[in-house]
Amino acid sequence: MELQAVLMAAGGGSRMMDLTYNTPKPLLPVGNRPLIWYPLNLLERVGFEEVIVITTKEVQKALSTDQRLKTDVKMRLDVVCIQEEADMGTADALRHIQQKIKTDILVVSCDLITDVALHEVVDLFRAHNATLSMLMSKVHEFTETVPGQKGKKKAGEQRDFVGVDVTGKRLLFMANEADLEEGLVLRKSIMRKHPRMLIKTGLLDAHLYCLKRSVVDFLVHNNTSKDEALLQLARERSCWNDHRGDMSEAYHGGKLRCYVHIMEEGMCYRVNTLAAYIEANRVVPKLFEDPPIHPSAVVSERSLVGSDSIIGPSCQISDKTSIKRSNVGTSSIIKEKVKITNSIIMNGVTIEEGCNIQGSVICNNAMIGRGADMKYCLVGSGQRIEPEGENAAVQRSAGYTTRTRTHTLHFCSSAVFVLNPAFCVCVYVCTLTPMSAFSFV
Amino acid sequence: MAGKAGKQSRPRKAEKDEEEQPLQAVLVADSFNRRFFPISKDQPRALLPLANVSMIDYTLEFLTSTGVQETFVFCCWMSSKIKEHLQKSKWCRPTSPNVVHVITSDLYRSLGDVLRDVDAKALVRSDFLLVYGDVVSNIDVSQALQEHKQRRKMEKNVSVMTMIFKESPPGHKTRCEDDDIIVAMDGKSKRILHYQRAQALKKLHFPMNIFHSGSDEFEIRFDLLDCHISICSPQVAELFTDNFDYQTKNDFVRGLLVNEEILGNQIHMHVTRDGYGARVSNLLMYDTVSSDMIRRWIYPITPEANFADQEGQSCTHSRHNVYREPGVSLGHGSQMEENVLIGRNTVIGANCTISNTVIGANCVIGDNVTLDRAYIWNRVHIANDVKVKQSVICDNVEVKHGVVLNEQCVLAYNVVVGPDITLQEGTVLSMHHPDEEDDEDEDEFLSDDDVGYSKDKTKQKVFNPAEVGSEGKGYRWKSSSLDDTEEDELAECIWGLALNPDPESDSESEVSEGSHDLGSHPASPELDDVKVFQNEVHGTLQRGLDENISCDNLVLEINSLKYAYNISLKEVMQILIRVVLEFPFQQQGAQISTAQYSSHLLPLLKKWAPVFKNYVKRPQDQMDCLASMEEVFLERETHWAALVKVLMSVYQLEILEEEGIMRWFKQSSTTAKSQQLRRNQGLLKFIQWLEEAEESSEGDE
Repeated sequence: MELQAVLMAAGGGSRMMDLTYNTPKPLLPVGNRPLIWYPLNLLERVGFEEVIVITTKEVQKALSTDQRLKTDVKMRLDVVCIQEEADMGTADALRHIQQKIKTDILVVSCDLITDVALHEVVDLFRAHNATLSMLMSKVHEFTETVPGQKGKKKAGEQRDFVGVDVTGKRLLFMANEADLEEGLVLRKSIMRKHPRMLIKTGLLDAHLYCLKRSVVDFLVHNNTSKDEALLQLARERSCWNDHRGDMSEAYHGGKLRCYVHIMEEGMCYRVNTLAAYIEANRVVPKLFEDPPIHPSAVVSERSLVGSDSIIGPSCQISDKTSIKRSNVGTSSIIKEKVKITNSIIMNGVTIEEGCNIQGSVICNNAMIGRGADMKYCLVGSGQRIEPEGENAAVQRSAGYTTRTRTHTLHFCSSAVFVLNPAFCVCVYVCTLTPMSAFSFV
Repeated sequence: MAGKAGKQSRPRKAEKDEEEQPLQAVLVADSFNRRFFPISKDQPRALLPLANVSMIDYTLEFLTSTGVQETFVFCCWMSSKIKEHLQKSKWCRPTSPNVVHVITSDLYRSLGDVLRDVDAKALVRSDFLLVYGDVVSNIDVSQALQEHKQRRKMEKNVSVMTMIFKESPPGHKTRCEDDDIIVAMDGKSKRILHYQRAQALKKLHFPMNIFHSGSDEFEIRFDLLDCHISICSPQVAELFTDNFDYQTKNDFVRGLLVNEEILGNQIHMHVTRDGYGARVSNLLMYDTVSSDMIRRWIYPITPEANFADQEGQSCTHSRHNVYREPGVSLGHGSQMEENVLIGRNTVIGANCTISNTVIGANCVIGDNVTLDRAYIWNRVHIANDVKVKQSVICDNVEVKHGVVLNEQCVLAYNVVVGPDITLQEGTVLSMHHPDEEDDEDEDEFLSDDDVGYSKDKTKQKVFNPAEVGSEGKGYRWKSSSLDDTEEDELAECIWGLALNPDPESDSESEVSEGSHDLGSHPASPELDDVKVFQNEVHGTLQRGLDENISCDNLVLEINSLKYAYNISLKEVMQILIRVVLEFPFQQQGAQISTAQYSSHLLPLLKKWAPVFKNYVKRPQDQMDCLASMEEVFLERETHWAALVKVLMSVYQLEILEEEGIMRWFKQSSTTAKSQQLRRNQGLLKFIQWLEEAEESSEGDE
C-alpha cells in the first residue's frame, strides 16, 4: 500500500449555514447522492480499498444506515469520530489519527466533486519525491442567481496568490490576499533558483493533498500550529525549497518540495458555498449514466419531466407537473399542477398543488403549501410554508404587506426561510424583480 | 457600425503615413558615468575596441541591420573624437542605408538631458529606438516593433515604451550584478508592473497595487537582462521634458510605473530568447561580450565578418575560433589554443601560449609569454616571460620582461610596467594621476595624442617603482579614489560588482535565518500597549529635557499618548513615576552610585513637578504614587537610601502631602521586603521629622 486515503468529513459547512444547520455537510444531497459519496467514489475509482474517514457521530450513523451508500461504496471505511464542537482543522484532524497513518497519505475533503485524473497529482508526488502535492483548478464563476444573496457576487473577494515555477508544477508561494497587505515579499534566493515565477490568482485550492508521512509527524510535534497549519506548512516550506539547477545538485539539495497540479480543464467543485452547491447540482447529473428517473419513483404519465432533471427513488410526481433543470430528492411528493424549474428539491419534501417554484433550494422534509409562488428562495429543513394566513406574519415582520389575490402567496425574489436556533423564521427579501414588484407595496 | 467604419478609415490613412516613415534611432554615445575611468579619460567609452572594433560600430551595425534608417548620435564627453571616428567610418559614406547625424553638446549630463533635447529639437517623428553607444546586439527588433505598434494602435498613447530583454538567468555570464533586475509583468499583456534593481536586496518586495490590474496571471522574472534597447514613442521624450527630474532610464521607468494610475502610461516588454544583446557597462561585461563575440554567439556579427568594412581588418577564421588578420607572424613553438583574435601586423615570439585572448594591431609580443583572457589593444609591446590573466591592456602600453599581471588588472594608455614585477589582482595603472583635477584633464586630452608630451608631464610627478617597477611609468588607481567621485554608484568599480561567488551559501544562511524566524516569531513577546506607552513616555520626557519643552506641553503629549494606547489614569501615574525614577539609570547606566543617582534625579523632579501635580490630585492618587515608588525601589535594593531624598523632594515640591506619606508608611505592608524597606534608617528619620513638623504646625495653630 503506497498511499493511505484520508477523507476529511467533519467540517461544518460554515459558509453555507442555511443548508447545513441540520443536515451535516457530508450528507447534503448533490444530484441525489450525499456529498460524501463523490470523494469516496473518486478514491474508489482509482483503486483505493480502504479509507480513513474523519467525521462526526451524526455522519457516522448516516454512513452506516444509508443503503445507497452501502451498495455504492465497496471500500472499507475506517470511520474516526471527532467531537463536533472541537472545531478541528485539517492539521488537528491529522494529528488525531497519527497512529493510524503508516505510509504517505492522500487527504481529500468531503466537499470535493471532481473528475480529475487523480494519478496526475500522485505522479507529481512520486516523480519528484515531493513533500506535498496538491490539486488546484480554475475558480468558477457562478452564473446562477443564488437564493438570498443580494445582487451579484460580493465584490472584492480575497484572492489566493499562488506562485509556481515555469513548468507550472512546482509550488513556490502561496498566500491569501488578506495576508499580503504590505505587499508581496519574496526571498531573493528563491528567485535565484526559480528565476521565472508565475503568479496566478484565479485558482481554487481543491483541498486534495498528497502528504509525506513525515509531514504528519511534523504536525504532531508542532502542536502550536493551529487551523490552517497544513497550508501554512506548504507556504513556509515551499518558500525555501527549490528546483531546476544549472549545474548544481538536483532540487538544489532542498529537502522539501511542494508541487501542484493545476487542472486546465475538467470539472472541479468545492461545495462549500450555496452558489457552489447549486452549481454542482446542475452539473453533476451529467456525470452518471444512471437513468434520470429512478426506477422506484412513480411518475405520472401526464407530467413533464425534462431530460435535464433527475428524480430520486420513491418519489411521487403527480399529473400536470412540469419539472425542468431540477433535482428532486428521495421520497419527495410533488402534487398536481406544480411547476419546478431550476430548483433543488431535497429529500422528503412535499409540494402541494399549483405551486410555482423557480431557482430555489428546498431542504429536507419541507412542506410547501398550496399555490405558493417562489422565485430564488431557500426553504430550510422541515419548514412549512402554509398556504395562507399564517405566513402573513412572516411578511409583516419583514416589513411588507402582500396584496394576495386568490389567496396565493407570492414569495417573489430571493427569500430565505430557515429555521435557525437563533431566530425562528428569517426572511430576507432582496432584489425585487420587475415582475414581482407589484406584489409588494 | 457604418459610421464607425467611416471613422476608422481616416485614421488608418494617418497611421499608414506613420508606418511609412523611416525608423529612427537615438544613440547615446556617452555613459554619463566614470565607470571606465581611467581608460575613458583618453578615449570615450563608445570608441573602446571590443574584438578590435569600436563599440559604437557594433551599435550602429545593430541599428542598421534591424532597419533603422536615421540615427541621431548624441555625444558629450570627447565628442570630437566620436565625430571624427564616425566621419571616417562606413556610416557616413553616401551609400550607407542608415543616415547618421551627430549632435554634440557639452551640456548633456544624463540620458534625460539628451531626450529633452530630442524633444526640444523635435527630431523624432514616430516611434524610435533608444540605445546606448556600447550596446552589442544582433536582436531583430522588428517583431517587438510590430507588437509595440499594435499596442499603440489598440490603445492610443497608453504604452509609451517597449523594453527589450534577453533571457539570462542567474549564473549566466552576461548577467551582470549591477543590472541585476527583477521584473514583474502581466502574464498576458506583457505589461511591466514592477521593475527593480535587486543587487543589494535580500528580500524582494512587490506592492499589492500591481496585482490589481485585473489580470489573474502574473509573472515575476529574475532571469532577464536589460539589453538597454528600447522602442520609445515620441511621448517618451515629452515625458522627460515634463519631468525634468528624470535623469536616467531607471528614473523614467520607475517614475512611470509609480505614477501609472495618474499618467496612464504603460511600459511593455519583449523578451528575446535567441537574440544577443548586452550593454558593455563594465569590464566584466567587456570580458563576457568579447568572449561571446569570439565564440560566435552574436552571429552574424563575428570578427571575420568585418562589418565595419575597414581596410586590413578582414581576418581568417580557423579551428577552435582562432582568428588572424593579415600580417600576423607567430614564432616557433607558440600555440594559439582557442578563442583567439590577433590583429594585423602583430608579431608574436616563440613558445607563447595564448588562449581566450584578443590582441590588437601592430603589437609586439616576446617569447615565452602566457596570455589567458587578456584583452590587448593596439601597439602594445610585451617583452619576454610575461604572464597575463584576465586583464585589459590599452594602446601603447609597454610590459617589460618578467611581469605578471594577475586577474582584473587594467593598464591604461601609455603605461609602462616592469621589469620583473607582479601586479596584484585588480591593479589599475594609468598615466593620469588619480588626484588630477577634472579641468586639468581636459587640457591634457586636447594634446593627448602626443605621447612625448605626456611623458614630459609625468616627469613632474614621481612614479612609485614598487607599483609599476623600476622602469615603469604610471600611477596606481585605487578603487577608493573611484568611490569618491561616484556619488550614486559608490560600490561600482571598473570591473563591475563582484559576482556573488556562492549563491548557495547565501541561501543556506537565509534558510537558517528563515527557520530562526519561524522559531522566534511566536516566542517573541509582542510589546504590549503598556510597555509601548512606557517607552513613549520615556521618549517624551527625554525630548522635553533635550529641547526644553514646557511642562504643560509634556502633559499634553502624555495625555494624548494615554488615549492612543488606552491607558487608565492610574496606570499613567504609575508609569510616569517609574519612568522618572529610572531616568537616571537610563541616562547614566545602571551602575551609578546612590549619590550620583539622587543628584541626577532631584533636579529632574523639580523640573517636572508640574507634570506630577497634574496627575497627583486626590488622596488616592498620592497612595498610588507612593505605591509605585515603593515598587521601583524594591527592585533596586542598593538605592534605598535615595528613597528618602526623593520623598523629601516631592514633599517639598508639594506633590505629596504629609498625610499621604504617613498613611503609606503605616500601611500594613505585605511582603517582607517592603517591611524591610520601611525599616530603613533614613526613612524612619524622615517620617519622624514629618511627624514632628506636623505636631509643630498643629502646635502653632
